[in-house]
Amino acid sequence: MQEVYVEDFMSPGCVGCPVVKEMLKGLSEELSGEITVEEVDITVDTTRAAQYGVMSVPAIAVNGVLKFMGVPKKEELKKALMEELERDE
Amino acid sequence: MEQNKNGKKTGIGVFICQCGKNIAGGVDIPALLDFSRGLEEVVFVADNKFSCSEEGQIVIQNAIRDSDLERVIIAACDPGLHLMTFQRCGQKIGIDPAFVDLIDIRKWTMFGSPDKVDEKHALDNAKRLIEQTVKRMRLRRKIPKVTVEVNPSVLVIGGGVAGLEASLDLADKGYKVHLVERLPTIGGKMALLYKVFPTNDCAPCILAPKTAYTNIHPNINLLTNSEVTKVEGHIGNFSVVVSQKPRYVDEKKCTGCGLCIEKCPTKVVDNEYSRGLGERKAIYIPYDQAIPKKAVIDTQNCLYFQKGSCKICEKICPTSAINFKQEPKTIELKVGAIIVATGFDEYNPTQKTEYGYGRYSNVITQFQLARLLDIDGPTKGRLLRPADGKEPRSIVMIQCVGSRDENANRYCSSVCCMYALKHAQIIKEMVLPDTQVYISYIDIRTTGKGFEEYYKRTREIGVNFIHGRPAEVVENNETKNLILKVEDSDINELLKLEVDLIILSCATVPSKGTKHLAELLRVNLDENGFFKEVHPKLRPVETNVRGVYICGSAQGPKDIPDSIVQAKAAASCADSELRKGEIQLPEFMVKQT
Repeated sequence: MQEVYVEDFMSPGCVGCPVVKEMLKGLSEELSGEITVEEVDITVDTTRAAQYGVMSVPAIAVNGVLKFMGVPKKEELKKALMEELERDE
Repeated sequence: MEQNKNGKKTGIGVFICQCGKNIAGGVDIPALLDFSRGLEEVVFVADNKFSCSEEGQIVIQNAIRDSDLERVIIAACDPGLHLMTFQRCGQKIGIDPAFVDLIDIRKWTMFGSPDKVDEKHALDNAKRLIEQTVKRMRLRRKIPKVTVEVNPSVLVIGGGVAGLEASLDLADKGYKVHLVERLPTIGGKMALLYKVFPTNDCAPCILAPKTAYTNIHPNINLLTNSEVTKVEGHIGNFSVVVSQKPRYVDEKKCTGCGLCIEKCPTKVVDNEYSRGLGERKAIYIPYDQAIPKKAVIDTQNCLYFQKGSCKICEKICPTSAINFKQEPKTIELKVGAIIVATGFDEYNPTQKTEYGYGRYSNVITQFQLARLLDIDGPTKGRLLRPADGKEPRSIVMIQCVGSRDENANRYCSSVCCMYALKHAQIIKEMVLPDTQVYISYIDIRTTGKGFEEYYKRTREIGVNFIHGRPAEVVENNETKNLILKVEDSDINELLKLEVDLIILSCATVPSKGTKHLAELLRVNLDENGFFKEVHPKLRPVETNVRGVYICGSAQGPKDIPDSIVQAKAAASCADSELRKGEIQLPEFMVKQT
């Protein structure tokens, strides 16, 4: 089974972050494959955010690669997750 | 050291640090090792007394080599502290920094940590975090990086003493510095202080060499009356938009002669330099030593701007510098790094209604007192009560107004004790030696170099100290004197005092616009609204945004020596990055901007 590890960079009070959270929740249920979502609060884990070059939230890294800054379209996010799930290692 | 090969793909090593007893004393290390050994793709597990020690790092490097590890997880302390240590350790033996991760399990085990939990919960939490991190590292790919050129220039926001120091340091090192100041003059709050502790030096006298040099330094582009309105980009290459308000005076032509000010018919209350206790004209130069010494028109009060007629200043100006048609300017800058030195504001004590500030005119703040004591201030150094212009025979200073207060700000503002002592000394020694001065305090905090001696001296010259905070101040309607009751806990006595003047030692709060600027820069603020550093002890001037540094009171309340130290530190951090000429950044970050 293919797996995806999603780092959902957020911060308290961020307007777009709950939208992304909901989107990821929906896609985790919709897509087949194991999707792990970790919420990373950039006000707490500043080092991780800096490592990826996250400068604003929401931002999403998929399997260690930063893919989105800002709220993505659901289709774009779905495509990014599916690419990883279908990837041949 | 133990090995366990189970379905090796990425070859992950998990290293659990005991941190002496800091971790080992609060969690079952063998249980964590057993747990980690069973995780997918983990091929090596070990614990170590101190992973960050030279010996600990050798253990990691040997394991990488001997067990073909491709990814390494160290379960130890805050990544803000040691991630770089372990990334460098891995890099030495050929592991990409993206494949080295440090996770903090110590926060659950160490005595004194606010997150400390019991041993069972520490084990559960640590297991969960290790499991999650193994999964993340297993799936993680190398972060694509690109090399970008670094622009050898810096934006400094704020022209107070910290901003000036950082600007001069960097300009002297050869960088181009753009110094942006919101007000028409640089110098910040220090210019309002009259004297500074613990030397009782004249504040403008020791500030002037810095403001004057800033004004003429060939590497400094001074932008007063200006605010940053947009910031994009990343370290090495920030694009900044600055909006400059018009002065309605041509800076190149104005000689600062003051003729326009003399002839201007409109007098208004000066809320900036005189803190509401003096007057200025509608066209004004903030104060004599202002830099740049150029006039500025206050459009809210100028007759021409309000009623369409007057223009006396234009007629009288010998160099035709007045220009009512000046427009706001938009200036675009490219800089490699940004230093935030936006300082602080004095807490508005009207919020503490019990002290009557704003209702009783003889209740003033320490900043207002500084203006009254200043020989160049609104009263030319005569200490006079605002209500009737009489010299006060008795004064009470109330400490911690808005500080160390659950209903206002919980933090200590750190400078109020010292400036109260300073003003008490000035009053007793220079202005009104026979006046009774009381300082009503919770604790006197004098921790800087030479500060305790300064405190002792203040006691020796006859200033009275009351160990307690008054609950309420009431005004005598006829005399305008102020009555307060305060319990002195040192002598267990309830004191009732009637005094001529009350001075409030107000908290230091984040300066106006801090929140907006933080949003523009994407820099985090702390729980009190000041700019937040990466680590309060070890990385005090760096922020969550690489290339953006903080210094002075923008980071938290502090005195001038500490502001200078931080300014130099921020300049040094910027220099360390900029001098490289080029820099490696995550590809996505560069693409986005």
